[in-house]
Order: sequence, then structure tokens, then C-alpha cells
Amino acid sequence: MSLAAQMRLWAASGRFLQRGTELLAFTLLTMLSPDKSLAVEIGAKAPDFRLPQFGSAAPLGLADVRGKVVLVDFWASWCAPCRESLPQYEKLYTGLSRADFEIVAINLDEEPGDVKKFLAAHPVTYPVVLDPVGDVPKAFGLVGMPTSYLIDRNGVVRLRNQSFNPRDVDILRTEIGKLAKEPTHVP
Amino acid sequence: MCRESLRLILALIVLGVLAGCATTKVEPWQRARLARWDMRWDPDPVHAAMRQHTYFSKEGSNGSVGAAGGGCGCN
Repeated sequence: MSLAAQMRLWAASGRFLQRGTELLAFTLLTMLSPDKSLAVEIGAKAPDFRLPQFGSAAPLGLADVRGKVVLVDFWASWCAPCRESLPQYEKLYTGLSRADFEIVAINLDEEPGDVKKFLAAHPVTYPVVLDPVGDVPKAFGLVGMPTSYLIDRNGVVRLRNQSFNPRDVDILRTEIGKLAKEPTHVP
Repeated sequence: MCRESLRLILALIVLGVLAGCATTKVEPWQRARLARWDMRWDPDPVHAAMRQHTYFSKEGSNGSVGAAGGGCGCN
């Protein structure tokens, strides 16, 4: 191999090494970079949504229940703690006035048959909306299942619960009572 | 093209594939299949306990056979 050919080869190898180093740096940065989705924090406005309702032709969104204290609960049939939370939320729902409080349960099952089967075994009277694609949890920046948000009469998130414990229902009942007495700025 | 250059190209392809994996994330609401009973390390806890009992009886050692947490990201 001539000297000129060897020089060209070294130059090409150098370029490959440079590109390789850049790609390695990009890989490491991508792996170490924080999660891009931002969770909705307490005090922030809850993202609005409108989704098809289970067992009803009319879609339901946050705007439809604005002016009330709303518990938005993300759940799925495969999530074990959700099996415990749904009957507890049902008790909470039936024990409070509908004029002040509403539950909107967002089901995230990808298979429509799963939610049908689950609700046949664990029926609830509060509205359940369906989001099989997962756009709404993405907007809320959900980090685990189940997660529920207590939203005040002005659409601001006041409480976030990332899990479920039966004792949470008592805390929720107290908070709902307090928030229901707050003034609303909704015209 | 010499062998070194081919190796470099191969290394770049591998790194590219790795970078692709780094940007893919299973979201908490996409874990239905991961939460399935048959996706567990030990679908049958009684059978697993029996097997572990036999193991530590024979080997005189125990542990390092599982990890906490389920598929739904809630534990």
C-alpha cells in the first residue's frame, strides 16, 4: 500500500472514530437524561380532556363537571390495587352529595372486553371514561398505577395520590368537604 | 475496505441500536401484559417455595431468587 493510500485510510479511520465517539456520547446522554414527561403538580391547572363514556353515548370531560370538586382516578383492570380502590371510591361517591362532588374514573385498558368484564364483577355508579390510547395519562404525566387527583371547583389539582390505601378514603372525604366550601370562580 | 473500518461500522451500528433502546419507555398504563400472572418469575408461589426449600436443603445456601415489585409500577 502506498503512503498516500495509508494516509487516506488513517484519515477515514479518524473520522469514523470521531463519529463513533459522538454517537456514544449521545447514547449515554439519552440514557441519563431525565424523563421528558412532566407530572401535573399540586396547584397546577388540571389538563382538560373529553373521552367516550362507558355505558353511555355521550362523551364526558372535565369541563362538564367544572364547578364541582372532582376526583379523577386512573385505573385499569390488570392493576391489583385498583380492584381494591374502585369499591372504596363507590362508597365515597354514594355517601356524598352529587351537587358538590363527582368522580371521573379514566380506564386505561387497551382491550375493551377487559373493562366490560371487570365492571360486571365490580360495578360502580360513577362515570367511567375510556382512554385505551393513553393520551390523558400522558398529559397528566402519570408515573404509576393507580393514581388519583383531587381537583377543586376551579379546576386546580389540590391532592395527588399515587397508590391506594383504604385509609386514603377518609382523608379524601375530609378534603372534599373542605374544598366544597371554597368559592368558585367559574362563571 | 479494511477490516478495521468494517469493525468500526459494526460498532457504530451496535451503538445506534443501543441508542434506540434508550429512548423507548414502557409507560405505567402500558403494562397490562407485564402484569399478567404468567409473566411472573414464579407463577405458582407454592411450587416456588417447595423448589427453594429443596435448593437450600441440598446446597446449604439461600436467597437471591427474586425481586420485589409487580408489573404495574404500583409497588
